[in-house]
Amino acid sequence: MATAVGTLSHTEDRSRIWEWMTTVDHKKIAALYGVTGFIFFLIGGIEATLVRTQLAVPNGNVIDADLFNQLFTTHALTMIFLAIMPMGASFFNYLIPLQIGARDVAFPRLNALGYWTYLTGAVMLTSSFFLGGAPNGGWFAYAPLTSLEYAAGKNLDFYTVSLLILGVSSLMGSLNFAVTIINMRAPGMTMMRLPVYMWMTLVVSFLLILSLPIITVALVQLYFDRNFGTNFFTPDTGGDPILWQHIFWLFGHPEVYVLILPSMGIVSEVLPVMSRKPLFGYSAIVFAGAAIGVLGFAVWSHHMFTTGLGTVPQIVFSASTMAIGIPTGIKIFNWLGTMYGGNIRFTTATYFSVAFIFLFTIGGISGVMHASPAVDGQHQDSYFVVAHIHYVLFGGAIMGIFSGIFYWFPKMTGRFLDETSGKWTFWLLFVGMNLTFFPMHFLGLAGMPRRIYTYDEGLGWETWNLVATVGVYVIIVGVSIFIVNFFRTMRQPQTAGDNPWDAATLEWATSSPPPEHNFDVVPEVHDRDPLWYNRDHGIAPAAKPEHLHIHLPPPSYMPLVVAMGVALLGIGGLSHVAVAVLGVAVVVYGIWGWALEPTE
Amino acid sequence: MAAAAHDAGHQTSLGVDNRKLLMWIFLASECLFFGTLISTYLIFKGQSLVGPFPGDILDIPLTSTSTFVLLMSSVTMVLAVYGAQHGRLGLMRGMLVATILLGTTFLGFQVYEFRHFGHVGLNLGTNQFGATFFLMTGFHGVHVGVGVLYLTSLLLGSMRRSGLGKERALWVDTAGLYWHFVDVVWIVIFTIVYLIPE
Amino acid sequence: MSHEASAGHGHEEHPPTTIRQYVLIGIILAVITALELVVSYYPPGSLEIPLLLGLSAVKFGIVAALFMHLKFEHKIMTRMFLIGIVLAASLMIAIFALFTHDDTDNRVLPDREAITTEAGGH
Repeated sequence: MATAVGTLSHTEDRSRIWEWMTTVDHKKIAALYGVTGFIFFLIGGIEATLVRTQLAVPNGNVIDADLFNQLFTTHALTMIFLAIMPMGASFFNYLIPLQIGARDVAFPRLNALGYWTYLTGAVMLTSSFFLGGAPNGGWFAYAPLTSLEYAAGKNLDFYTVSLLILGVSSLMGSLNFAVTIINMRAPGMTMMRLPVYMWMTLVVSFLLILSLPIITVALVQLYFDRNFGTNFFTPDTGGDPILWQHIFWLFGHPEVYVLILPSMGIVSEVLPVMSRKPLFGYSAIVFAGAAIGVLGFAVWSHHMFTTGLGTVPQIVFSASTMAIGIPTGIKIFNWLGTMYGGNIRFTTATYFSVAFIFLFTIGGISGVMHASPAVDGQHQDSYFVVAHIHYVLFGGAIMGIFSGIFYWFPKMTGRFLDETSGKWTFWLLFVGMNLTFFPMHFLGLAGMPRRIYTYDEGLGWETWNLVATVGVYVIIVGVSIFIVNFFRTMRQPQTAGDNPWDAATLEWATSSPPPEHNFDVVPEVHDRDPLWYNRDHGIAPAAKPEHLHIHLPPPSYMPLVVAMGVALLGIGGLSHVAVAVLGVAVVVYGIWGWALEPTE
Repeated sequence: MAAAAHDAGHQTSLGVDNRKLLMWIFLASECLFFGTLISTYLIFKGQSLVGPFPGDILDIPLTSTSTFVLLMSSVTMVLAVYGAQHGRLGLMRGMLVATILLGTTFLGFQVYEFRHFGHVGLNLGTNQFGATFFLMTGFHGVHVGVGVLYLTSLLLGSMRRSGLGKERALWVDTAGLYWHFVDVVWIVIFTIVYLIPE
Repeated sequence: MSHEASAGHGHEEHPPTTIRQYVLIGIILAVITALELVVSYYPPGSLEIPLLLGLSAVKFGIVAALFMHLKFEHKIMTRMFLIGIVLAASLMIAIFALFTHDDTDNRVLPDREAITTEAGGH
């Protein structure tokens, strides 16, 4: 908590910290999500660095096999659940009310609760390293490796309990975002005038709302298997390890789109502004995004082609997986169409967005390769798959997030991140990323399995492993330059102005950074690109009223109380049932206090 | 599921209340939750290697009674909503009390059933029927329990001097949505577990 | 209907149903449940399972439309709920088909009778 706040505020006195702990302002919660998410991005990076350092040379002995298992598992969990999703949630939080012209999200306190619950789960998952061992069964924790027989110890209980808590956090966030976008839009902001980023947020929210309950059941079943003697996933009394794979991927595949769609939304905001052209094919991009969301629920078994599904399911899931290439392709051509003929400004945000298209296309193409069961059989559990997911998640999600950071930083802080240093960051990340992950394609095809902690000489894997490890260190330099850039920028004066990029969406209609109530006058929307419409039709912004009577929800510590209850509940799940009972009591108390709290 | 009252709630895009919309989307999410539990039950149906098997121990007359009790709680719940909407506070409180009592009775039946199954040797780890049955109906029971707490909170709130405030009808209505949903989930579970033979 | 209800009335809007009607709906629900029990005790052959599922779907629909007021609400509520129901139902059918038709039906399972006798169970 203190670190998250400390990096933002220079004066660390009690009241300032208390203000952050009780805030219900979506912009402050966004900052909390963003900074915490970035810290976990660094932690996940450290884990990856250790993994790659161990694999740099044959028969490496930097870390032992058990720690290696813990590190690659937590690397994935940290990057997915503690870094990329929260950084996405940070943008959602910041931008939803601003882009749709609202004063705040629909449920400000629920929003705060989402953050504190996330922090609880994140700390719990990471603390497992010091409390007997982190999860070590891979992020998808396949049965029966997770059964008590093969995984005694608390490692996987940390996995189930912290993922359950993180799921509750994401569910609350997504419900809130969905209601806000559906029901809190400014006058004139019809659904088909929503910024594409809002559409992607809405699709992501629904993906989470509909897929999180599925993984919740799976995690509970795994927890029961390990603690209460059921046999859902162990065959002892008729259980079925394949069931875990089905339920996990029913959640896991929509989850992949949860990670990538926000970045697609960011690119769809950045490219039109930087090309000084409206987005090409708005409706096509929106429907493609929704189609990806729907199809995301119809492809889960392509992760399981090697389990012997039978001929018919293999054909069905192969076809549905290939079908996802169509909406994805539509998006890529629309982004290219947006840039075509545009008067492009090559800012750092543009660089990252263009790199997103390029790298994501590579990841997408290797993805379509896996859609063929015959090819997939060769790739399964090899480094080729590792290359694929990193092109999608690093080349896609992370590049998009960096583009968003450089694009919206002036709005969030009133300051521009340094462009020169930003371009250094871009090139180092771009080169480092390709150095690290492109060789993994070759390694995979040369037969190197994923998740082995070392390998012998003479298998032909030495060169590319070394190259991949060098790439990681290039990425580290790039990220370090970004961090220095961030701190140096935060010391500059606020010179950005309301709309430095001449952008089209509503968040640029208010000051930078925006006031606590976002808009002095709730804007009226006449067009898909409201600010460009106003500019071209000579509509002046509404005059600031002399007396502002804007009611904002007061700060509340009840979200923090409820989150503490959830934490106790989690600790109870890992230790003694009495702690869990206490947790329930605290949750009930917190919700009562919440309901009775005055909100006027 | 208490939610923040918010000034912008008066001028929403669709003219519907945020809290009610939140509850409906939450219930959509719950469909997937119970859908997964029921799927697990169906997949493992007939896969138990040792007894007791469902046909041996399920008591259909007993459970039909508890099903009837839960069904009637939906009627009392909807009358409580009616009372809240028409300003008939006595009716609302009385029907809330009735709903809480019926819900608690249902839970009583369930506790009895679970204990009885334990006595005849069906536990979580006994076979696939035990694991899936207890998890599914147990989670449903937890939902009923949460509903009882939810309605009790509303009842106690309505006893305060300020009552439930000007948004009384909305509070009771939203709680009612949750309660009816828990009831329809039981309609499905009752059919699938008890009525459809092994 | 939702338009008339939501226009003008503001917070006072409520569905046009009386106490009598609510009680009547409750009785109908109870009768359907009794019918289900009859079907369950005197199964009409292969019609049994479709009939039982159909009857419970009718009950589900009545409760959702009339008790949960979906019939009188803004369409958005129905749409949101339908997303959940349709997705849950399709995934249930899909995963069930994957497990039975193409998986367990073709698997060699341990002989249940043999194990039962061995364990000396019921």
